Amino acid sequence: MTKEFKLPDIGEGVHEGEITKWLVKEGDPIKEEQLFVEVMTDKVTVQLPSPFTGTVLKLLAKEGEVVRVGNAIIVVAEEGEAAQPAPAPSIEPPVIAKEPASVAPAAPPAPPGEILATPGVRKLAREVKVDLATVRGTGPRGRITDEDVLAAVGGAKPVSGVTPPAGPAAEPAVPAAKLAVEPISEPAAKPATEPIAEPAAKRAVPPGLEERIAVHGIRRRIAEKMQKSKNTAAHFTYVEEVDMTNLVHLREKLKVKAEKKGTKLTYLPFIIRAVVAALKDHPTLNASLDDEKGEVVVKRYYNIGIATATDAGLIVPVVHDADKTDLYGLAREIERLAEASRTNKLTPRDVQGGTFSITSLGALGGILATPIINWPEVAILGVHRIEKRPVVRNDQVVVHEMMYLTCSFDHRVIDGHIGAAFVESVKEYLEHPALLFVEA
Amino acid sequence: MAREVDLLVIGAGPGGYVAAIRAAQLGLKTLLVDKDHRLGGECLNYGCIPSKTLIFTANLVHKMRGAGEMGVEFTGLHVNMIKLQQWRVSVIDRLNRGIEQLCKANGVDILYGMASFVDPHRVRVEGAPAPDGPTPPSEEVVAGTIIVATGSTPMDLPSFRFDRETIISSKEALELAAVPWDLLVIGGGVTGLELGTYFAKMGSHVTVVELLEQVLPGTEPEVARLVTRNLKRLGVEVHVSSKVLSWAEKGARLVIAVETPEGRKEIEADKVLVSVGRRPNTEGLNLAAAGVEADAKGFVRVDAQMRTNVPHIFAIGDVTGQPFLAHKASKEGIVAAEVAAGQPSAADWKALPTAIFTDPEVATVGLDEAKAVAAGHDVRVGKVPFAALGRALAAGETEGFVKVVMDVKSERILGVQIVGPDASDLISEMAVAIEMGATAHDIALTIHPHPTLPEAIMEAAEAALGKAIHIVNRK
Repeated sequence: MTKEFKLPDIGEGVHEGEITKWLVKEGDPIKEEQLFVEVMTDKVTVQLPSPFTGTVLKLLAKEGEVVRVGNAIIVVAEEGEAAQPAPAPSIEPPVIAKEPASVAPAAPPAPPGEILATPGVRKLAREVKVDLATVRGTGPRGRITDEDVLAAVGGAKPVSGVTPPAGPAAEPAVPAAKLAVEPISEPAAKPATEPIAEPAAKRAVPPGLEERIAVHGIRRRIAEKMQKSKNTAAHFTYVEEVDMTNLVHLREKLKVKAEKKGTKLTYLPFIIRAVVAALKDHPTLNASLDDEKGEVVVKRYYNIGIATATDAGLIVPVVHDADKTDLYGLAREIERLAEASRTNKLTPRDVQGGTFSITSLGALGGILATPIINWPEVAILGVHRIEKRPVVRNDQVVVHEMMYLTCSFDHRVIDGHIGAAFVESVKEYLEHPALLFVEA
Repeated sequence: MAREVDLLVIGAGPGGYVAAIRAAQLGLKTLLVDKDHRLGGECLNYGCIPSKTLIFTANLVHKMRGAGEMGVEFTGLHVNMIKLQQWRVSVIDRLNRGIEQLCKANGVDILYGMASFVDPHRVRVEGAPAPDGPTPPSEEVVAGTIIVATGSTPMDLPSFRFDRETIISSKEALELAAVPWDLLVIGGGVTGLELGTYFAKMGSHVTVVELLEQVLPGTEPEVARLVTRNLKRLGVEVHVSSKVLSWAEKGARLVIAVETPEGRKEIEADKVLVSVGRRPNTEGLNLAAAGVEADAKGFVRVDAQMRTNVPHIFAIGDVTGQPFLAHKASKEGIVAAEVAAGQPSAADWKALPTAIFTDPEVATVGLDEAKAVAAGHDVRVGKVPFAALGRALAAGETEGFVKVVMDVKSERILGVQIVGPDASDLISEMAVAIEMGATAHDIALTIHPHPTLPEAIMEAAEAALGKAIHIVNRK
């Protein structure tokens, strides 16, 4: 029996994944649980285990190709079965009976290697950079339609000078029910992506002067999420200055201890602790807004997202149950997440379930930024560079370790005074770090 | 001061001028260079167009002569060859002007001169003397992208060098204002047979000598046989598996020694038309200065986007090799221009139709039966003779057939061969069918108006499915 493996739902709101690396090739033996493919989704890069033991017959997607959840990516001949040359398609194309039963049974889809697509569809495929060999046709006798091609690019609009095909709007090939894993998240084909597409260039630019980079995977998800957040949440940003002198001294001391335990202690565990403590003081900030139901969902668990830059783009791994871990535990978890982000080893859980996010520009610093809320959360804290600045204490100008905090709120949920109170609370904890440990 | 352009197109044939127009439409500053002061290249000036102009006239004459059975009676049918040649020139002139206007309307600049690469981005254009005006000055052109569309030229043979008087190429043959008594055609390919048929209809005694075992090499033997039979009816002597050896003068005529399977023959002729193939026009172009590579025969190699080994230099049409077809050059020109303008175009057609203007005409697209079988298809063929068709009978053109080659499993149409009246016009329907991935059902179920020649295609599709109405189905 040949078996197909369909790209599973690897995370909430994940509609598609980019095949970044095949760990097996056609003809290879494959064992159950063997990691066989690396898939990058908008949230995470994961390696997937095989549910079958047998021989790899066919890889249905190329490296770099974006596959929708629910679409088959590999065909395996299960153990004990001779490898068959052609995979049995699991989704039969709709066949329209043209003849009474006397003629041969409905023609099978085009054999592998033969691409059934009209010249117009072939042109469209080139324009949106889809390899037709990897597209399953849903048209008559397996013919690849415009819609199939557009579905293969996740409904992205064709670039430069292409007239989108007339007729019904491109729909994903997979029924919506299969995709809607997260009810509040929206299908990828919504207009949110449109502003990113460049208008058709009127005058062609000589080759080499411009580069076109497909927006997909993490990049596209960032684009969508940021746009969604900006379009949905009523952002306002509150800025405060924090005197970090005490914390700097404390960290210097604890750093040595941490090193002995084999952990690198940054400021982030302290900040997370301060944030958790402040969230407990102001519970409505640890929340999300369910736009559909019109309800604020206040959370009694504290999963803190840490915005992290990677080569592929910004991701937000989550420190789960940040209130239940001590300082060193937080440090270790942050270290693990950072390492996993760098090496694409994050698990779906690592990027899910955040209740509040922190974005730190670290030493790069700048003075201020206005963070965009990690929607549907309702607030995000921006942490900036710590530096020595002259400040007035007891009518004396003295040098202290100072830092700005910038915190963006969704005003639909958080009013100004509540947001301010939260930031003042964070400031209080950071300026008097002993409080953090009293509270705990 | 060198002229700077986005795109330089060298050669204004059916590939080059089309490429230039498309490039200009896409906003590229485009310069079109041709060594001739006539746009349109070989096709328009010395090939397809003049040959069809003459062939259609010959067909008219031939048809009238054969129309006695239909009651058409007359005496004194005479062809004024001088007037016919004037007519040919007027047709070409109109099209020349049309192309020039199209280029201007689209903003394509034109320069008449011989192009030669200086380096990969610079081309020197040596002004070509105008037939009725001053020679344009030479210029140097710097171009971001260059399309080489210089075409090809008829080849001669070492023992039959063109003297352009008695040993001639198709170009001179088309300009003959006197029909030769005896014409020897060396090479039974498309050009040789088209022109041989033309002269035979105009009254020449024509002999065709073909080296291979059939005329129209590469065409299905069944098709070649039918064409040969008709040539013989026109009084054309056809020697296949035969070779011209040498010639000798005999007064104003030549005596040509030919080796045939029946032995050595001496054939007298007033003119010898050498149509044995074409070579690429790369001489003087100095492709080496641009680093553009060509194959052993001098044809420039390109990829599916028509790029040569030098990424900003494209080549299209005849200069890239067989098959030498104007419509192929045009499509390649569009691909190259679009790629030059940053579009992801590619030569990805499934079907390249051909049209041969013999009598009857031959047109093909896709695979013939043998090639389909060789490609691993389980094949069924539906064949319908034009004799079964009301329209063909009414027009007195019953010669030939339509053959539809179908894949049994998918019922898709793999190829079509048409021999018969207006075959060249009939084939496009099936080119569309193949590009669309149509099945024989799609064609059979489409209503074709009655009484017309395309009904034969519908019927052949039905025959492939074993359910033709007007012929007995093969079991």
